[in-house]
Amino acid sequence: MADTTIKKELWERIPQDNKDAEVISRPSMTYWQDAWRRLKRNKISMLGLAFIVFMVLFALVGPTLAGHDYSTQDLTLSNIPPRFEIYQIDADTFVYVHSEYKLIDVLEDGTLIGRIKEVQNNLNDKNRVYDIDGNEVFLDYKYAAIKDSSEADAGIKFKLFVNGTEVQPYKTVWNKGHLFGTDNMGRDVLARVMYGARISLSIALIATLVNFFIGVLYGGISGYIGGRIGNTMMRIVDIITAIPLMLYVILLTVIIGTGFKSIVIALGSVYWVNMARIVRGQVLSLKEQEFVLAAKTLGAKTSRIMLRHLIPNVMGPIIVSMTMMIPSAIFTEAFLSFIGLGVNPPMASWGTLANDALSGIRTYPYQLFFPSLAISLTMLAFNFFSDGLQNALDPKMRK
Amino acid sequence: MADKLLEVKNLKTSFFTHVGEVQAVRGVDFDLKAGEALGIVGESGSGKSVTSLSLMQLLQYPGTIKEGSILFEGDEIVTKSVKEMRRIRGNDIAMIFQDPMTSLNPVYTIGDQIMEAILEHQDVTKHQAREKAIKMLELVGIPSPEKRIDNYPHEFSGGMRQRAMIAIALSCEPKLLIADEPTTALDVTIQAQILELMKELKEKINTAIILITHDLGVVADLCSRIIVMYGGLIMEEGTVEDIFYEPKHPYTMGLLKSVPKLNNDKRERLVPIDGTPPDLIKPPTGCPFYARCQYSMKICQEQQPPFFSAGKGHRSACWLMHEDAPKVEGYSKTFKREVSHGTTD
Amino acid sequence: MEQRTESPKEVLLEVKNLKKYFYSKSGFIKSNVQAIKAVDDVSFTIYKGETFGLVGESGCGKSTTGRTIIRLYDVTDGDVIFDGANLSQMTQSQIRPYRKRIQMIFQDPYASLNARMTVGDIIGESLDIHHLAKGKERQEIIWNLLERVGLSKEHANRYPHEFSGGQRQRIGIARSLAVNPDFIICDEPISALDVSIQAQVVNMLQDLQKEMGLTYLFIAHDLSMVKHISDRIGVMYLGKLVEVASSDELYDNPKHPYTQALLSAIPIPDPDVAKNSHRIVLEGDVPSPMNPPSGCRFRTRCRYAMDICSKVEPVLVEIEPGHFSACHLNKNSEGVSFQETVQND
Repeated sequence: MADTTIKKELWERIPQDNKDAEVISRPSMTYWQDAWRRLKRNKISMLGLAFIVFMVLFALVGPTLAGHDYSTQDLTLSNIPPRFEIYQIDADTFVYVHSEYKLIDVLEDGTLIGRIKEVQNNLNDKNRVYDIDGNEVFLDYKYAAIKDSSEADAGIKFKLFVNGTEVQPYKTVWNKGHLFGTDNMGRDVLARVMYGARISLSIALIATLVNFFIGVLYGGISGYIGGRIGNTMMRIVDIITAIPLMLYVILLTVIIGTGFKSIVIALGSVYWVNMARIVRGQVLSLKEQEFVLAAKTLGAKTSRIMLRHLIPNVMGPIIVSMTMMIPSAIFTEAFLSFIGLGVNPPMASWGTLANDALSGIRTYPYQLFFPSLAISLTMLAFNFFSDGLQNALDPKMRK
Repeated sequence: MADKLLEVKNLKTSFFTHVGEVQAVRGVDFDLKAGEALGIVGESGSGKSVTSLSLMQLLQYPGTIKEGSILFEGDEIVTKSVKEMRRIRGNDIAMIFQDPMTSLNPVYTIGDQIMEAILEHQDVTKHQAREKAIKMLELVGIPSPEKRIDNYPHEFSGGMRQRAMIAIALSCEPKLLIADEPTTALDVTIQAQILELMKELKEKINTAIILITHDLGVVADLCSRIIVMYGGLIMEEGTVEDIFYEPKHPYTMGLLKSVPKLNNDKRERLVPIDGTPPDLIKPPTGCPFYARCQYSMKICQEQQPPFFSAGKGHRSACWLMHEDAPKVEGYSKTFKREVSHGTTD
Repeated sequence: MEQRTESPKEVLLEVKNLKKYFYSKSGFIKSNVQAIKAVDDVSFTIYKGETFGLVGESGCGKSTTGRTIIRLYDVTDGDVIFDGANLSQMTQSQIRPYRKRIQMIFQDPYASLNARMTVGDIIGESLDIHHLAKGKERQEIIWNLLERVGLSKEHANRYPHEFSGGQRQRIGIARSLAVNPDFIICDEPISALDVSIQAQVVNMLQDLQKEMGLTYLFIAHDLSMVKHISDRIGVMYLGKLVEVASSDELYDNPKHPYTQALLSAIPIPDPDVAKNSHRIVLEGDVPSPMNPPSGCRFRTRCRYAMDICSKVEPVLVEIEPGHFSACHLNKNSEGVSFQETVQND
C-alpha cells in the first residue's frame, strides 16, 4: 500500500466539465490519407509506383528530350546496336564495322558520323576498299561465308586492314547518338520505345477508363436493382466473357480496320465485365448496410444513393481492380500488335516494336530487348503497385 | 500457494499497430484457485478479452505479451514454446468463444471436432473417442447425441452450437475453462439455457472457470469472485457480494447504476457514465477512469492509484480509499459489511 | 396506466394486420417459391408522445416490422396509417414527404454511418435531400444538432471511424433529428453498445422525447431496457404479436407463457435475487419462420401446450383494459378462455 503521504493540493477535486472526455486525441484522417500512409510503408509497392511515374514521364516528355523523332528514317545508319567495337584508322579517325560489312565513321566517344563511301566494292571476293584520309582501308568479309576455316571456328567474320596491316578492335564504346541503337530503318530505338510507351500506356489508360465507367455503371445498376433485371444483366456479361477476345478483335478490325481506335474499342468493350462483376458483388453486400437504409429513410433518390453512398464505398476495390487491369491491357495491346492487329506504322507501340524486331532477332537482339523490357518492367511495376494498393485499401486491415 | 491453479503477475499485453502501441493490458495480476469461478467484467476495450487470449497464448499479430508472468500450476507459460503450448491448450486450459457460428469448422461433423480434441490429447482409440464424444454431447444436453454426433455445424442451431463448443472444450477435462462472452451472440432465452447449463456443469465437474463478459447479470449467479477491468487495468476485485453490494470503485458503482432495475416500479432515470473509454494508444498516466469519474481529483490525473484493501479479498484501485482522501458525498471508504477487517497485507 | 386512459390519447400510428413475407426461390428448373412469414398479421397502435416497445428474439420479425412501417420494405398486406395517411400502398415518391416526419435510428453504429462522408455531411444529408437549408444555415443546424447530442461542432469535419460506438450512435440520432421528425423508429439502438454507454443513449433519447415531443417505436431484445424506456410494450414471437400491455403491467402480470419465460430469462445483476429466482428455461430454439408450427406458434416450446394449441391459432384479445394477450390459457372471470369468446363471435 502507498505509505507515502500525498501532497494536500493533490486531493483537490476537479469539476467534471473541465475534463473534455469527448475529445478525440488521434489526428483526423480520411480513408484516402490513411490508405496512402499505409501504402507508403510498402517499399516494393512504392518502387512500383516510382517506376510507373518514371514510365509516364518517359512517355510524355521523353520524346522531346530524345533528340530523335520516332519516325525519321536514316537508312545509312540502320541496325546499329547500342554498344559496338570501333577500330582506329589513325590518330583521331575511328570506324565501326557495320553488320552489313560497311564502314561507318565514328568519333572515339561513340558518336556516329555517317557512312563512308567505299572506293571499291568487290562483291564476288567479298571485300571492300575504302580511302580514309589517305589511308587505304581494306575490309575483307569473306570469312563469314567460309564454313571450314580457323577464322570461322574462332567466330571471326571479317578482317580489317589499314595500309596492309590487320587492326584489332580499338575499344568498345556506347552508341552515343542512339542509346538504344537504331532499327532496320535507321530510326532511333529509344525514341520509338518512348513513343511506344505513349501509345501503349494511353491505350491501357483509355481502355481502363472506359472499363471503369461502363463497369461501375453496369455493375452498380445491376447490383442495386438486383432481382430479375440484375440477373439478366449479369447473364449478358457472361455471354460477353464467353466470346474469345481474339475473335472479337479480328471481327472488329474487319469492320473498322486495324489501328489505335479499334484496339481501344476492343479492349474497352470487353474488359469491363470483370469490373462490373466486382462492383455488383460489392454493391449487393453494401446495399443491405444500415447506412444505405438510413439514406433511404431520409428520402434519398436512387441516383444519390448510388453516387454518394455506394460508389464511394466501392472505390477501394474498383481502384485496385483498375491498377490490375492496366498491366493486362498493356499486355493484350502488345500481344495484339505483335500478331499484327495493332497500330499501323509508323506509329509504334511496344508490341509492334517487338514484332518488327522479331525478323532480326539473331543479329539485332537489342531491338527486341528494349521494348520487351519496357513491357515487362511496366507490368511488374503495376502489379507491385496494385498489390500494395490492395493491402492499403483493404478495410479489414483498418484498426 | 499450492492451491493456486493460475497466477497472473503484472501481465502487460500490447498490440503494435501502425498507429502506435495499443496497450490493451497494462499490468494485471490475479489468481485463481482450482474449481473456482471467476468473472472478469468490463466494457469493450477494457482488456478483458486480451487478458484471456494472453492466458491461452492465442494473441493474433501484432499482439504480444510485453511483460509479466502467467503461472499455471506453478509453471510459467509465457515462455513456453508453441509445441508445449499446444499440449496445454485444450487439455489443461480450454476456451469457448463468443460466436458459435464461426468457432466450429463447417466442413467437419460435430463428432469429428469433439473427437479431434480427444484424440489429440488422450491415448484412446477412435472408437473410445467417439463414445466419449457422445457422452460429452449428452452432458451438455443435446438430445439423442448418438444421432446428432454425425451432424454438421449448419444442422445445429446457435444454442446447440454453443453447447457443442462447450462439449469440445470440456472433452479433455480441462482444469481451467475460459469462456469469452459465451452468451453475447445468443438470444435471451438461449442465453438462459446456456447459463443454466454452465451452472449445472460447474456442480458436476471440478473445472475452474474464467467467465469474461460485459453483462453484470451473467456473472451475478455464476461466479463467486469478480474482477472489474477498465482501460487495461483491474479497477476492483472482490466476491460477488462485495462487487454488487459494496462496490468501492466509482467505475463499478457506475456500471451498476447504469443498468435498469427490472423490479423497480418507479421510472428512475438511469445514471450513465459520461464520456468514452480512454484511447489505449495514449493511456492516461493516472487512473484510466479519471476522465469519466464524478469524484476525480488532481491526484487521479497524475498518479495511477494502487490497490487499497476493502476487506478480505476485496481490493479497489481508487484514491478515494486512501486514508488521507477527503470525504465525498456518496462514497464511503469503509466496508459496511460485517466482515473481519483482516487486510491482505 | 389507469390515469393515462383517462386523458384522450391521440393516435399517431396505427398498424393493421400488417404482413411482410419474403420469398425465397429454390430449385433450378421448377422454381419453388417459399414464403418466409417474417411479420404475419400484426396490429398495434402507437399514441402521440409515447414510447412503444417491441421485444422478441432474433428472427421474431420486430426489426422487419419497423422497417416495413417506414417502407424500407414493401408491405405484403395490411395497413400502416400514420397520422391519418395510409403509407402502406404509397409509391416511393408519394412517401417522400413523410420521410421528414418518420425517422429511424439503426442498430449497428459502425455500419449505419457512411465511412466516406464527414459527420457534418452525414447529419446534413437530409437537409440537402429535402432542400431545407443551405450554406451557413445548414452549418448552424448541424452544429446545433451536434451539441444537442453531446458532441461539439469541431466534430463536424471528422470521419465516423474516429468516433467510439456510443458517439457514432449519437451521430445517428443527430442525423434522424435533422428533419424535425414526429416519430422515430429506434431499431435496437443500444444493443451494440457497452453497458455504461447504453445508459447515455437511453437518457438522451428520453430527454429528446421530452424536449421535442417525439414518439418512439423502440425495438430491442433486451427486455429490461425496453421496460425502462417504454410506456407500452408488445412482445413478438415468430412474426406474431403475442402480448401487448403497459410496461409495468407486462412486468408485474405477464399473461403469455412466452412473456413469462422471456422475463425470467433476463440475467439479473443482483446475486441474491439471481440465486433465489427460478428461471423458466425454454427448451429448444425458435422454429423456422418458413415452416411455423400450426396453431399457436409458441406451442413447441411452451410448458403449458395443450391439444387446442396445435389446432386453433390464438388471437390477440384484450383480457384486461389495455392488456392484450394471445393465449388459450387466458381466462376471463367466468373461467372461459378469451379465445373461445372471440372465436365464437
